[in-house]
Amino acid sequence: MNGALLQGALAGLASGGLYAVLAVTLTLMSRLVRVVNFAQAATGMFAAFSAVWLASSLGLPVWLATVAGVVIGALLSAVIGWIAATWLSESSVTLRSAMTVAPLLMLISLSFILFGNKPQPFSPLLSGAAFTAAGVVVSWVTVVMVILAIVVAAACALLLQRTTIGTRLRALSERPTTAELIGIAAKPLSIGVWAVTGAISAITIMVIAPSQSNDAVSLSMLIIPASAAALLGGFRRLDLAVVGGLALGMITGIVAQLPSVQFVRNFIPFLFIVLLLLWSQRKEVWGEAR
Amino acid sequence: MKKRLTGIAALTAIGALALSGCAGGGGGGDDAPIKIGSVNSISGAATFPEASEAAQAVFDRVNAEGGVNGHQIEYKTIDDKGDPATATAAARELVGSDEVVALVGGASLIECEINQDYYAQENVLSMPGIGVDTGCFNTPNIAPVNLGPFNDMTLTLLNGSENLGLEDICVLLEIAGSTEPAYRAGIERWTEITGKEPMYVDASVPYGGSDYTPYIVKAKQSGCEAIAVNAVEPDAIGQVKAAQAQGWDDVTFLFLTSVYSENFAEALDWTGAGVHVPAEFYPFTEENEANDDWRELMTENDIALTSFSQGGYLAAMNFVEVLEGMDGDITRESVTEALQNMEPIENPMVAFPYQFTDIAAQEFQPGGWPVVLESGSNAWKQSADDWLMIPSS
Repeated sequence: MNGALLQGALAGLASGGLYAVLAVTLTLMSRLVRVVNFAQAATGMFAAFSAVWLASSLGLPVWLATVAGVVIGALLSAVIGWIAATWLSESSVTLRSAMTVAPLLMLISLSFILFGNKPQPFSPLLSGAAFTAAGVVVSWVTVVMVILAIVVAAACALLLQRTTIGTRLRALSERPTTAELIGIAAKPLSIGVWAVTGAISAITIMVIAPSQSNDAVSLSMLIIPASAAALLGGFRRLDLAVVGGLALGMITGIVAQLPSVQFVRNFIPFLFIVLLLLWSQRKEVWGEAR
Repeated sequence: MKKRLTGIAALTAIGALALSGCAGGGGGGDDAPIKIGSVNSISGAATFPEASEAAQAVFDRVNAEGGVNGHQIEYKTIDDKGDPATATAAARELVGSDEVVALVGGASLIECEINQDYYAQENVLSMPGIGVDTGCFNTPNIAPVNLGPFNDMTLTLLNGSENLGLEDICVLLEIAGSTEPAYRAGIERWTEITGKEPMYVDASVPYGGSDYTPYIVKAKQSGCEAIAVNAVEPDAIGQVKAAQAQGWDDVTFLFLTSVYSENFAEALDWTGAGVHVPAEFYPFTEENEANDDWRELMTENDIALTSFSQGGYLAAMNFVEVLEGMDGDITRESVTEALQNMEPIENPMVAFPYQFTDIAAQEFQPGGWPVVLESGSNAWKQSADDWLMIPSS
């Protein structure tokens, strides 16, 4: 039985790494530009679909199409960021986050119109097995995803603590008005954050899409487990976002092996969110909490 | 002012009455059009646009050739967006206000189950191009031209155990709505026929899941030789890819007709020991005269070559044949009667003859044509030289 659980956990690592990377980008966005970006995965999806189109219809070599896809992801995200920075700079986090539902729906519809509603023929950027443990093959895609999540989280933590740009970004996120008054260029900086997270999402989706369900809706809806993972770190802590992503993937994998708890499988991210919210509110007194 | 408003309202009412009076004529005049409708899922979570496009192409051709006994066909399709409320409204619009004589050639994710009582109440018959939900297969008023996912499940298992000689088949079910008992009945029917049982049935595989690795690992570790799954196209691709990542080279995939498409073949280079599907209609991925007329008409009208367009085409062709055999006024009553008393129609594109009441009562012998997608081929090919039939019990 324990063998089956270990297998489940390892099998779940594939999606866990993916959730972790997306959770890290969500956390970054929330910390630095005060937004929960619901279009995060959709931006990556659209960039990846564009890359496939460039390779299959225009005949670009795969590496060039991939680079173009990353650029498209960054630009798309920057445009959404520009809208947020131009018209919603003084708005609440809630309003800015709600705004991102519009690009989420728009990108899904647009990809239906441009690329059709069928899964895309992705050519894999990474393939093959990295190693086998307990009878489960752990693929290179999984390994790269887990490493990417850790590296991005660590690099961002270093950037924020050790560099001038990091200091400015922190100033901007904590005291936006004061930061602007002392001459920090708020708009370009925040659009830059959008662009970087857009590029990371594009890379992530392009790496994982060839090895799983890859129609527009399933890719865009990765935002739900990713948000659940980011919630573990309260959308503030990068390390906990990584842990949350990996844990969520592994729990999903383990539950899939247990026939007795089959009925909860489809609701795991939801249960994860509810439990975390209850835990984080545990010391609040009714009435004072709002 | 008030008087004037009342006047306008009265005029509008009279106008509306006059208009609806005209519309209500439904085939009364010598050259009045024959109104036909269909409810389709064209936008939303799962989309099936080709069935009604194919039916439209058939009706356009009939109209261009002078119509049915001098009557032109007016075909109206409504998108239900996969949404129950819209599907309900769509049926009322077609049956209630447009007064269609029948519903033909549609394909909807949910429509049958939601509207079957209304169709029974209005005594209107429906001949979907592709029946999807359980409700298409359990009412005397609906008889799709396809055999349905539940018969398909029995067929795909038969194909695996009898044609391919597989012993240890595991069944993974993705359940949407209330379809589980119907799929289970399909599996039990296979057990009744062959005396074999699946190694296990897992009915909790998520619909539209992003990563299927845990389910594949479980199946591989349990020692399954083949997995039979009722997955839609994107999910099936995800499952094959998860098996590829696990290096499960000797697994056979037994899927349903829903994955039988050119797009699916292009998306997968690796398919283990092969993806096997019992195609519900004569396989279209190879040229054959059974499909010639359909292929020509679809290509002319720029409609995708899929099982869905085969279904829509067949429904429209069958319906036109019934209409052409009718004497006297073409009204809802006379069409309903003609469909209920029709002679069976044979077509080389289908394994079994179409007779409305027999199909609606599920009293027919379903069959499909086995096709396979082998690793590295990126193209479907026939894996048998005749229909695979479910033996009548």
